[in-house]
Amino acid sequence: MTDNLTVFIVDDDPSVRDALGLLLGVHDYRLAVFADADSFLRALKPHWHGCLLLDIRMPGMDGLSLQKKLLELGCDLPVVIMTGHGDVDSAREAFRAMAVDFLEKPLDGARLLAAIAEAFERQRQAADAAASRSQIQRRLDGLTPREREVMARVVAGRHNREIAAELAISPRTVEVHKARMMDKLGVASVAELVRLSLG
Amino acid sequence: MHKHLITLGFVGLYVALDAASFIHPLHGLNITPWNPAPALGLVFLLRRGPGARPVLVGAVLLSEYLVRGVPFPWWDSVLSALILAAGYLLLSEALVRRMSPSTLLDDRAALLGWMLPVVFGTLLNSLVYVSSLHVLGLLPPGGWLTGVLQFWVGDAVGITVAMPLFWWLSGERGRLALRAALVGWETLGYSLLGLLALWVAFGLGGDGGFKLFYFLFLPIVWASARQGMAGAIVSATLLQVGVIAAVQLLDFSAVTVAELQMLAVVMALIGFFIGGVVDEQRRTSDELRQTLRLAAAGEMAGALAHELNQPLTAMGAYASAYDALQARGEGGARLDAAINGMRAEARRAGEVVRRLRDFFRTGATKLEAVPLAEIVAAAAAHYQAKARQSGVGFCVAEMPELMLLADRLQLEVVLRNLLSNAFDAVAAADAGARQVSIRAERLPGELVSICVEDSGSGLGRQDLERAFESFHSSKSRGLGLGLVISRAIAETHGGRLWGEVADHGVFKLVLPIQETPRP
Repeated sequence: MTDNLTVFIVDDDPSVRDALGLLLGVHDYRLAVFADADSFLRALKPHWHGCLLLDIRMPGMDGLSLQKKLLELGCDLPVVIMTGHGDVDSAREAFRAMAVDFLEKPLDGARLLAAIAEAFERQRQAADAAASRSQIQRRLDGLTPREREVMARVVAGRHNREIAAELAISPRTVEVHKARMMDKLGVASVAELVRLSLG
Repeated sequence: MHKHLITLGFVGLYVALDAASFIHPLHGLNITPWNPAPALGLVFLLRRGPGARPVLVGAVLLSEYLVRGVPFPWWDSVLSALILAAGYLLLSEALVRRMSPSTLLDDRAALLGWMLPVVFGTLLNSLVYVSSLHVLGLLPPGGWLTGVLQFWVGDAVGITVAMPLFWWLSGERGRLALRAALVGWETLGYSLLGLLALWVAFGLGGDGGFKLFYFLFLPIVWASARQGMAGAIVSATLLQVGVIAAVQLLDFSAVTVAELQMLAVVMALIGFFIGGVVDEQRRTSDELRQTLRLAAAGEMAGALAHELNQPLTAMGAYASAYDALQARGEGGARLDAAINGMRAEARRAGEVVRRLRDFFRTGATKLEAVPLAEIVAAAAAHYQAKARQSGVGFCVAEMPELMLLADRLQLEVVLRNLLSNAFDAVAAADAGARQVSIRAERLPGELVSICVEDSGSGLGRQDLERAFESFHSSKSRGLGLGLVISRAIAETHGGRLWGEVADHGVFKLVLPIQETPRP
């Protein structure tokens, strides 16, 4: 669990890093601090979980560029942006790149903690969703080709008779395939099946 | 007691001036080509107010008696002196509204406001006074016009040339300014030039109708152009005394003396007006410098706001951490760290505020050794996002490894300003052709040249000259002070900033490198 609670701070100001480190440490977050975007990118590992606290204004690559770069790299760390001069343009840019929050310096401690909590919550939801997606995928993988054909047609709203005609098999066989397919996917009704197929 | 001494001194000086200037009298009357005593009288009246009127009348009467005796029935003499004194009282009334006690007559409006009443007031006074002499039968027949003209010239010249001197001497600020002007080596220079000019005008050119009189303009113009009104007053006084001494030595006729006095008054007025303009211009440039300082402080404030945000952020975080530790009753190292952190950050914020205050007060710079690359990176950081948004190719070249002795924030303001101009310059270019670059190279003689280039249309010589003038801007917003401030900052760092004439925008900032290497 603690592994999921790491806050990655990227800020060029050592005092700010130290102070944020202390604050978050007091709230039992694990921390990793970086002085600039490059050192963060060099250290970045795909399995990292947690949230990223980013200053916009830094020498070298700025916070917003780093945020975009991470998006391109497919890194799903939620990002909280901090800035000394929060103008509308940079806020828009941050939120378009899926920032969780956009905090103006000087920071409000409570808002910062709330933003980090929200970031973790999002990460957890995303992880849950990913987990259930992969579970469904596993179930789908367990279907035979015939069952998949039947499923596609059931989801498309066809009746058993129509499916039987299309696949040139008896309606009775269609029913068997359908029952086995729904059993494998763990759904009790056509409605549930449709919802599952929509992902 | 002090006041009475001044009164006595005034009366004595008035009589002495009247005696000294009682030269070439017309028909033995108080009609002379040079009459500075009324200038003293007017200044006394203006400084003392209405209470000084009886003193002036007394001084005029006493002077009349001591200098000219009583050659004709005494009541005539007293009556004419009273008429004269009344004229000066009226003139002082006309002046009192135009001359505030603090004015130094050192701008054109004040000079005109003083000069016009003097010229017309003395004319009126001369008409009334000489006519009264005429009525009393003291003037020979047919002498009225000559009398009026001579008296007018004598009074007008005397007052015009001498009154600013007395006015300045009778006020604290004027005295200080005069003293400051007198100790300059230039005063000696133009005084010698004045003597030379007098010798040329009277010694060499005296026989030929003063053809060489224009040499006298040289010292006046020198003095007033360099020292303003103070120089004009000093040189006009010297010249007046010189002219009077010359006509006495060379024994000119009264008519010639009057002509020379006209010349003296014209020279004095030219000097005063040049001096007034010079002083005005100096004051304007002082005010402008002050304004520039405020504008630069404004730019600094923007940069400092960011500097303040960092310690405030850190302090806020330490304080929140402290709250959390308190809430759970934890003491020890982490609590200490929070408190110490807050203390250190408060000090850092105080440092930032002090620098802003220093800048407002003196424009002072806080020099420290900073790597060039750091300043450039900090300034360029602002423009990375802008470059992306507006499709500008922004190239920050590798900076040479060197240290500057500089005020980090101020230099950052300069670079940001140059970059901002460059981005504005390329905004109008085609999307593909927007390029801004910043690079630096070492120059011989421990200098570094930082060059900001853009692919805009560049500036011509005339545009460049104007770009560095205040209040000129090709931008619709702001006052266009950026380059002026930037240049001022560059110069306080012992460097230079200029734009080059090119087909694209080129601005160069040359700064001295810190000579001692980084420890």
